[in-house]
Amino acid sequence: MEPVAILLATAAALLSVIATYLAIEAKDLLVATVFSAVQSTAYALMYYILMAPDIVLVYVPVSVGLLPAVTILLIKKTERYER
Amino acid sequence: MSDYFSLMFTVVLLSLVVNIGIALYGIFIKPSLVKKFIALTIFSDSINSFAIALGFRRVTGSYPGVAVLSDVPRGVEELRHFSTASVDPLPQALVLTAIVIGLAVYMFLTGLIMLYYRHYGTTRVDAARGGSRE
Repeated sequence: MEPVAILLATAAALLSVIATYLAIEAKDLLVATVFSAVQSTAYALMYYILMAPDIVLVYVPVSVGLLPAVTILLIKKTERYER
Repeated sequence: MSDYFSLMFTVVLLSLVVNIGIALYGIFIKPSLVKKFIALTIFSDSINSFAIALGFRRVTGSYPGVAVLSDVPRGVEELRHFSTASVDPLPQALVLTAIVIGLAVYMFLTGLIMLYYRHYGTTRVDAARGGSRE
């Protein structure tokens, strides 16, 4: 149980680093939003393994559902490409 | 086994530090306000993850459990075992509050960015100074 769990947490952390880098470097803001959601998913998995399931219940709807939706609406109202 | 656990946990913490660094770079360097907004959400999530990792606890022999007492403890011994074999719930409560307050702040920032775009016609920060930085 213990080695597999901590290995999964490490994999999620490394995935979040890659997703963060791609989100910051993407010129298309819609792509950046999607990578930000990927990073949030990795964090949610990490919270679950670090024994905080109550955080996961709040974090997943807020950071994977609501926040990308609001960001996509914002991009729709303003401009899509970063210049 | 314990070395393996410590190494993996250190990798998790270092990944969070790297994430904080990348997000700060995005907040300070990127000119687009929407990109700054995305970087700010990543930054605050990384700080919250740090607090969660702070409350995690090593338990010899087993994996720590969730800090929930599902039954009335029968004695001091059981309570003591519970307090040493579960993670710290205080950072989790703080992070829960921080996530909800952060959501309200993000909504406010979204409205501000939209008003900025209506006024200046762009989301670049240097439009407010009347010139281009590049």
